[in-house]
Amino acid sequence: MSAPTDSDIYDKICELLKPYNPKNLPIERSSGIMSDLEVDSVAVFDLIMELEDHYDISIPMEMVSDIKTVGELVNAVKGLTAE
Amino acid sequence: MTALFDKYAPLQARIDMMMKIGSDALGVKFDDIISATRGRIGNREILLAGTNNYLGLTFDEDCRAAAKKAIDDHGTGTTGSRVANGTYSEHTDLEEALADHFGMPSCIVFTTGYQTNLAAISGLAGDKDVIFMDADAHACIIDGSRLTNASTIRFRHNNPEDLDKRLRRQGEIEGGNALVVIEGMYSMFGDIAPVDEFVDVTHRHGGYLFIDEAHSYGTFGPTGCGIAEEQGVLDKVDFISGTFSKSLASVGGFCASKHPEFEITRKVMRPYMFTASATPSNISAARVAVEKIKSGGHLRDNLKARAQQLHAGLSALDFDLCAEPSPVIAARRPNEGVAAMEWNWLMENGVYVNLAVPPGTPQSSSLLRISLSAAHTEQDVQTIIDTFAKMKASQGEIMSGMMSKLQAAE
Repeated sequence: MSAPTDSDIYDKICELLKPYNPKNLPIERSSGIMSDLEVDSVAVFDLIMELEDHYDISIPMEMVSDIKTVGELVNAVKGLTAE
Repeated sequence: MTALFDKYAPLQARIDMMMKIGSDALGVKFDDIISATRGRIGNREILLAGTNNYLGLTFDEDCRAAAKKAIDDHGTGTTGSRVANGTYSEHTDLEEALADHFGMPSCIVFTTGYQTNLAAISGLAGDKDVIFMDADAHACIIDGSRLTNASTIRFRHNNPEDLDKRLRRQGEIEGGNALVVIEGMYSMFGDIAPVDEFVDVTHRHGGYLFIDEAHSYGTFGPTGCGIAEEQGVLDKVDFISGTFSKSLASVGGFCASKHPEFEITRKVMRPYMFTASATPSNISAARVAVEKIKSGGHLRDNLKARAQQLHAGLSALDFDLCAEPSPVIAARRPNEGVAAMEWNWLMENGVYVNLAVPPGTPQSSSLLRISLSAAHTEQDVQTIIDTFAKMKASQGEIMSGMMSKLQAAE
């Protein structure tokens, strides 16, 4: 399987964020996952597990604590899927 | 420019909202604690059903006598850590008693339950190790992993197959080991881990299994060792941690291991080395409670009967309960506002339970959480059920009360 593109990953993250975004807040790459989209810390880790399973990668918790925005999450997944 | 506390504005807004509809559920002040199951606020007696006092030993005559004697014999405090001020005979005696209870060669006691996991996990996992933790792991397990330089991976709650998948995905850990961390009974939902299956998966991948039996030591297993004993795999678990502040009715914690080499971690665990050791009275009360647990089949039988009674009673009232009967029974509520309003109503009607809200709960759920005690009588549990029934029948009144309080606060 070829590595997913940046926009594939962004679309997937937007899709996975839907259940955690009941207020339907607009999702941008610059959106803070916790600060703007109001996703709580436990839900962020649930979202991470879904991404791990979709792309068959491991995103360790210490990496997640440095990720604040949707764009940073896209970049992290892109880096891990390119390895 | 922002002020230091501005970052807490959203949290303050949430608390302000709770205060508009009642009192602070996370800051309850009791004027008196009368017994293991009764407290007093003002002139109201409150039935305590949220204090994790599973075996009801806080007022046990022998535990109290031991604590008092320890104060008379060795004073009120240790004034420092065991590294600096030395170990008291009480510490050693309790470590030996717990090691003996688990049939393990090593046990270390700590000053609180929270510090136990902080210390043990940070002492066990090095830079090259990988921690695999259950998705619903307690804050002290998460914080313990943050004290390490080990990589940490979460797996789906109570799901050994998911752990298996993640261990496979990780592959060989070069120069390190996998440390799998689970709990026996989970504190919020009261659900039980399939420890026997986790033992199989963990050891098949060459990892070590660490189980936190904070809520299950004393309450499960033929001699009260916990879920691992209940499921017949006690001798296969690598590390067992627990607390003194639940069934043992004191303050402190322990970690036991089947690996004698665990003793070396006394020299590296910062939350063990750089904090004062537990007081002689705390340790002595817990020491007597260990014996009460070993011979406490009758306490566990009563606890089990009360759990079945409460679970059946609340189920008959159509409450959405989070797990099968266990000493923790949690009812899922539609949202934080409703749960907070109901929590206040229960307090006003003489029943103390826990209000549990996100992010401290799994699945972003808002809960009314009850923890039962062997000291609860059949009548006590019937009172809890009757009060929940009355609460359900008063739903309209409770909600309109909430609306008018919110409007009055506008």
